[in-house]
Amino acid sequence: MKRTCIAVLVLAVVLCLGAGAAMAADTVKIGYLAALTGDWAAYGQTEANTAQLAVEEINAQGGLLGKQVELVVYDFRTRAEDAVNAVRRLAEEDKVVGIVGANGSGINIATAPLVNRYGIPQIGTVSTNPLVTVDQKGKVRPFSFRVCFTDPYQGKLIAYFSAIELKRMNAAILYDVGSDYSQGLREFFMKSYGEYGGKMVADLGFRGGQDVDFRAQLTEIRDKKADVLILPNMGKEMALIMKQARELGMDDIIFVGGDGYAEFMWEIAGDAMENSYWINHVSPEDPAMAPFFASYKAKYNDECKEFVNGILGYDGMYLMFDAIKRAGKADPKLIAKALSETKDLQLHHAVITFDEFHNPLDKDGIIIVAKDGHGQFYMKIKPE
Amino acid sequence: MDTFLQQTINGLSLGSVYALIAVGYSLVYSILLFSNFAHGGFLVIGGYICYFALKSMGVSIWVAGFLSLLGAGFSAVLTERLAYKPIRERTNVTLYLLIASMGMSIVIENIFVIVVGGRFRALPPVIPTHPVHLFGLATTSAFDILSLLAAVFFLGALQLFLIKTKWGLAIRAAAYDLKTAGLMGVNVNLLISIVFFVAGFLAAVGGIFLSVRYTLYPQLGMITIKAFVAAVIGGLGSLPGAVVGSLILGLAEMLTAGFISSQLRDIVVFSLLIITLLIRPQGLFGKNISEKV
Amino acid sequence: MSGYTEGIIILLCINAIAAMGVSLLTGFTGIFSLGHAAYMAVGAYTTAILTVEYGVHYIPAILLGGAMAMIVAYVIGVPTLKLMGDYYAIASIGLGETIRLILENWQSLTRGARGYPGIEGYTTLYVSLGFFAVMAFGMFNLIHSRFGRAFKSCRDDYIAASLLGFNTARYRVLSLVLSAFYCGVSGALLGGFLSFIQPIMFDMIKSTELTSVVVFGGLGSMSGTLIGAAVITLVTELFRPISQYRMLIYGAVLVIIMVLRPEGIMGQYELGPRFFRMLKNRFTKESSEKEGEPS
Repeated sequence: MKRTCIAVLVLAVVLCLGAGAAMAADTVKIGYLAALTGDWAAYGQTEANTAQLAVEEINAQGGLLGKQVELVVYDFRTRAEDAVNAVRRLAEEDKVVGIVGANGSGINIATAPLVNRYGIPQIGTVSTNPLVTVDQKGKVRPFSFRVCFTDPYQGKLIAYFSAIELKRMNAAILYDVGSDYSQGLREFFMKSYGEYGGKMVADLGFRGGQDVDFRAQLTEIRDKKADVLILPNMGKEMALIMKQARELGMDDIIFVGGDGYAEFMWEIAGDAMENSYWINHVSPEDPAMAPFFASYKAKYNDECKEFVNGILGYDGMYLMFDAIKRAGKADPKLIAKALSETKDLQLHHAVITFDEFHNPLDKDGIIIVAKDGHGQFYMKIKPE
Repeated sequence: MDTFLQQTINGLSLGSVYALIAVGYSLVYSILLFSNFAHGGFLVIGGYICYFALKSMGVSIWVAGFLSLLGAGFSAVLTERLAYKPIRERTNVTLYLLIASMGMSIVIENIFVIVVGGRFRALPPVIPTHPVHLFGLATTSAFDILSLLAAVFFLGALQLFLIKTKWGLAIRAAAYDLKTAGLMGVNVNLLISIVFFVAGFLAAVGGIFLSVRYTLYPQLGMITIKAFVAAVIGGLGSLPGAVVGSLILGLAEMLTAGFISSQLRDIVVFSLLIITLLIRPQGLFGKNISEKV
Repeated sequence: MSGYTEGIIILLCINAIAAMGVSLLTGFTGIFSLGHAAYMAVGAYTTAILTVEYGVHYIPAILLGGAMAMIVAYVIGVPTLKLMGDYYAIASIGLGETIRLILENWQSLTRGARGYPGIEGYTTLYVSLGFFAVMAFGMFNLIHSRFGRAFKSCRDDYIAASLLGFNTARYRVLSLVLSAFYCGVSGALLGGFLSFIQPIMFDMIKSTELTSVVVFGGLGSMSGTLIGAAVITLVTELFRPISQYRMLIYGAVLVIIMVLRPEGIMGQYELGPRFFRMLKNRFTKESSEKEGEPS
């Protein structure tokens, strides 16, 4: 019994080794880092799906440079040390020409020195921390890019919208102490909000993952008479916060959130979602995105409820395709050069021009308003 | 004063959900003397069964809830049979059971990641959550009152089961001394199965309430760590202890977050755990631990 | 050697150093901990701050990182190691989480959850191999010394040991402090490997991973611990092409090894002549052999 078990294990290991080494046809290989397990699995799985969709579409059109495109997806179970070895493997074993992902700034910052040493371009999907594309001395990392806007910019957008468009000057913020994304947004929001003349009446934290009950903080926010509540968090937490706030009878406060918005929040928060505003990269109603949603639905029989991750992963792939085409050769260094020269590229969700720090230049902020059971396009903003 | 009352109510309702889970930890510990970290997994199983029964079979919440409780109960028994029984029959080192239970919790979590995906799901609104005003002093949701009532109901039923039935007597006997209970003619394997069934059953009750309130996802089991802390504070192996510990923890969390600092909330939880262990390792209601020589 | 293999070997060394520390505490002294990732965090942050802000050379900085972990462990260990068995394990969960939460909230020093960037990439293949070799040498000598025997006596029967005149309380603290040093160094090396650290990297999942490596390899066997670390690290690497199933396999392996061979791969044996003798005996008279657990 014991020995059979061991034999089976050994066999499985050998098979896996073999499977990994056997594939080496003439294709253009693109790597994708996605959190398929762990806390971000919902987002990572959607990204992996949309990336696969993008690859199938490009292959149906004849691929790139006359070759088929092959996608290599690796999980990093939300851990940086695992992601680092995934990148090494992508670079050395799979010999990819570019990497798309990961969906988390911490992971991108940890893999950045590595991709820059290998000279393989990496495009972060929703990695909004400034340090993803520049090092701590402010020098640009030549092989690191992102398709989303950055924390300082998003923080400014939220502040601008709350103070100037909504004219709400007494803000409370409820952020996730354990999340770099949330902390970053909070920092930059508070800075810009002050500049627009707003006043912070409450600045409270919680711990994502474990905390699911926010009534203590909400009670305090209610007592401090805040008129707008800023939510720089992930979808699940924001939905719970809104639901619990309405349960506590906070009917007048307006919720303004960041790009963590996802359609599944409606299932959780229900009516509490109504009339909340979300600063985002993309609107699900955008007619340009309709074909994407249709083909996603056809392939996976699913609504792509984590659409922000999904679309940014999808367009991250198209950004890479475009750079490969312009490079004219499957050479990572040329592709990185082509990427940094990206100008007025029409992707599905936006037009991308990279600035000197490899951040998309002045992307419009899309405001989504939650109304009648789904997110609707409200306005585009571009603060001066 | 209003705020204090409000935070107290918030704390009690959070504590009542912890209690349902903490009791399961304590029940298993009282018999087998190990902390079953797969307990959170049973909760997730219960939540998903309820979700799919409601969504795909379109049954009422009563039927779905019943199926979910049974399903979680049986998966707890199955877990015990597959993973724990071979170990406890071979050795009495509880450490091995602990590691196996960690393995099982990873297995259960990842089965759901693979089969249903990592997406956050919300149960249909089967339990009312509209605001309720209490004598004009505080506001709470109907859901909190229901979860408090459900906790009281199920914990009361458990107490009756333990006191009035023959198997309840056997479980209490086994909690004193499993080996002797076996020698007295108690079918130990059946008894342990019953204990696991009850633990899984109660975990599913907690699971349904948690997934209505906090959504359902494969890692939901992780939040049971707080219930576990509550069980330890109350005294592992003691059922009243688990309930009291849960209420204390719920109140401590809410009052810290409300009056001191929300960032310190978890530090307070874990400090409470450490202080309890240092001053009174057996917990508030625990049996006196005397190391066997 | 390709950089990928190099990456695996570096990670293996880092994991093995931490696992040796936990093995000393859990396998040899019988104290079960679920919070050792916190000592890795202390080592990682100390080294990062020393190298980045004070320009200390990385080798003394790594050692100071280990030393800082020792100090923290000593302060924690003296009051809490009075707890026995499961109770210390539970307390260690609380201790580990508390340390991590403090790092997360102490923003002026650690920059909080956003992480600490810009650490020099000092953990090269040779540095990690060097540290591993020296620390493994030290550990194997330690467990065969007077101290090693004292640790084992604390594990096997601490009442008898204290009757024989061993100050068991002191040995327990000593064991914790030494294991914290190993974890601190390992954390410092991890920081240099990733050049970026975040408190979330050192959470309870990491702690349980460390302990399961030790149990997997065999409680009370240092070579078993090394084999365990190698197997677990390699399994997660090898199964990378089937990404989604990786964690499922990891969990299942843990359960299966506990069910089939709870004493771990090596039991209490070290890889050496005695182990092979035991193996030979086993295969020649398998049925009459009791499930090997020499006391």
